[in-house]
Amino acid sequence: MVSGHSNMPEWVYIGVVVALLCWVGAEAWNIERLVEHIPEDAKLIKVTGQQWFWTFEHEDGTKEIGELHVEAGKAYKFEITSKDVIHSFNIHDYVVLLDAVPGRVNTVWFAPTEAGEHDIQCREYCGLIHYNMRGTLYVSEAGA
Amino acid sequence: MTMRILAYATLALALSLPILPVMAAEPGEYLDRRSEIWNLFFRMMTVAFTIGTVVSGTIVWLCWRFRESHPKAKRTKYEEAGEW
Repeated sequence: MVSGHSNMPEWVYIGVVVALLCWVGAEAWNIERLVEHIPEDAKLIKVTGQQWFWTFEHEDGTKEIGELHVEAGKAYKFEITSKDVIHSFNIHDYVVLLDAVPGRVNTVWFAPTEAGEHDIQCREYCGLIHYNMRGTLYVSEAGA
Repeated sequence: MTMRILAYATLALALSLPILPVMAAEPGEYLDRRSEIWNLFFRMMTVAFTIGTVVSGTIVWLCWRFRESHPKAKRTKYEEAGEW
């Protein structure tokens, strides 16, 4: 009350802003925690990016280049790395996006829900043919 | 006192979040990452646009209400004293 008027509106304004920021931070932290929890029974797929294609290796040793075949209703854990420069592994339709970094293994998971075909693409500019560093995800029916 | 009330209000709001335990999902039952991520995005956008509206609305109102030509505008004590 130094200036002869109430500071209450300012404090309410600050309180609301601080409360909203706390809510935003906590909510984002909580969802990130839930989303990053990899299911115990997720099947491992090793993903390797290199100029300018993707290689996939399944748990049984089967390898695929530029194509990835999975089954709906199952969870898959991707271990992503790169052989040369930094790439970024992206399956847009399933909100999978993670950098492929040489000398490092990054992990993300997803569980396709229905059969279909989806684009796989590189999302980090990685050289001349980056635009065509694409692949296709084939999701087959559960048990097919 | 005011600070204490605000601190408690902030804490209560933050703690009221439905922080769910990470569920030990049954085989074949998985979290829908797509929904969670997009829903978070839409909630954050709602907050962002609401704050943007309130802040820009406050600025517009301040400019409109405290313009010199407003019917209720008052001269400051410095202007009245001829100091400025």
